[in-house]
Amino acid sequence: MRIPFVDRNTATNQLIQFSILFYWSIFWFFNIVDKVIGGSMFLWVGRDRFAQFQKFFASAGLESPWIANLALIVAAGLEVFAFVFLLGALIYYVKKKTKSARSWFFIGVIFTLITFTIFSIGDHIFGDRFELLEHTLFWFLTLFSWVVFVRLYQKPENENLSLNKKQILLSGLLSIFLIVVTSSSILSYNKNYFYRRTDALDSEKVSENIFKVTFPFLGGSTVFEKTIERFNSAYPDKKINHIYTVPKPLRLKKADALIFYIITEDKR
Amino acid sequence: MKEKNILKFMVLFFWTFFWALSVLDKIIPDVNYLWVGKDFFALFVKFFGSLGLKNPIFPTLALAFVSSLEALNFIFYLLALIQFSKRKTELAQKWFFRGILTSVTLFGLFSIADQVFGDRFQLLEHGLFWLILIASWILYKYLSESDLAILSVKNKEVKVAILISIVLTSVASFSIIDFSQNTFSNTDSPVEGVEVVKDVYKFDFPFLADKRVWEKTINQFKIDYPELKINYIYTGPSELNSKKKTHLLLYVFTEKM
Repeated sequence: MRIPFVDRNTATNQLIQFSILFYWSIFWFFNIVDKVIGGSMFLWVGRDRFAQFQKFFASAGLESPWIANLALIVAAGLEVFAFVFLLGALIYYVKKKTKSARSWFFIGVIFTLITFTIFSIGDHIFGDRFELLEHTLFWFLTLFSWVVFVRLYQKPENENLSLNKKQILLSGLLSIFLIVVTSSSILSYNKNYFYRRTDALDSEKVSENIFKVTFPFLGGSTVFEKTIERFNSAYPDKKINHIYTVPKPLRLKKADALIFYIITEDKR
Repeated sequence: MKEKNILKFMVLFFWTFFWALSVLDKIIPDVNYLWVGKDFFALFVKFFGSLGLKNPIFPTLALAFVSSLEALNFIFYLLALIQFSKRKTELAQKWFFRGILTSVTLFGLFSIADQVFGDRFQLLEHGLFWLILIASWILYKYLSESDLAILSVKNKEVKVAILISIVLTSVASFSIIDFSQNTFSNTDSPVEGVEVVKDVYKFDFPFLADKRVWEKTINQFKIDYPELKINYIYTGPSELNSKKKTHLLLYVFTEKM
């Protein structure tokens, strides 16, 4: 089967332009899917945008869910319009109708810029500085993508991207070697250490009625619960009074995962 | 309409609103109805306090200086937007440049302060804003000098795109409303506990839950298990949560009375 876009003499400019259109189409497509799904489900975690919007508006004194619904619908509408025009641009681009692709991409860019501008205004109102930075960065990336896309039209290049056989063979062999080494390491780690995801940990007595538990990075709530169960079995005469989680500034950077101390007293 | 004019308008509009709301945030320092914002005064007090400058005059003066620069930024961008709307593009570019210059200066000062106060995350944040401002200016200038493409799309195709968009938006809207109706009760309903270890109950709080849900959950638990005495409540740290799936894990340690 011959795919229209896949051409042996495809210039680097065309590949980058295709990548830009593909990236933004997929970006908005998954944002819409995230809105349609709403919460978490099998094979999709996403982000609970309704809860996020609801909390934002409630913090500003607007507790009705309809306000959050309306805001979310407006956001979803803008995202859908951006997606449809970007997808249209991608289709036209694949069909080599570059003028139409440019116009459709431009409309998609405008919808994207409007969306991120509105989000940034919201971030100011709700005082979320991290999201303000995130949305400003995306706003800029959109603008930058458009300029790069247009700029790549101006100097068409017809570079020869083909490699000679020796280069292909060498890079192929090197890649296969690295893939085998990396995969073996990953599989070996999985075989030898996956138990850390599920198995209970031992508690180390550090002083009278104080026990330390050092979590591996793989540990989660299951490990925590099993550890408490093991502790209760190992020390049936102790009652847990308090669990002290060592705060991050007291841990060794990156080397320490979760550490907590179990503080007990003797059962009467 | 020329593509570059639309984009230049978007750039000016974004930065005008950015600074307008930053100034407004300084005018409304506290949380109010329809405005949350950020408490910059508290932030400045803590920063200066960490340097050993406990007198509130220092953060007050610093905040007043920052607010003045932000107000100046806003005025420059607003003037650029007004001139651009009047089609005085050269004058608009001059005002935009003044705005960029003062904004970059402000973020430069913020970055110096971040180094002094040792806040590396804010240093990254301000460094990125600084970069985006400079890049915005370069892009604005590039747009001014670029070709004069006029936006042209076929009416029929646009109509089809709008129709598809409306259908997709309707589908998304139904889904959003349905999800909202199904989950909104999470803002007000107690969470049900699961006994994971003998006398230890786990509560998986949904993202929508807040302090009122916590109170209702504990009260409900006491009603459901009158024979149990709560010894201790442990808030599961983020390391125990499956990424993003749960907002909060709570463990209640009990014993029989």
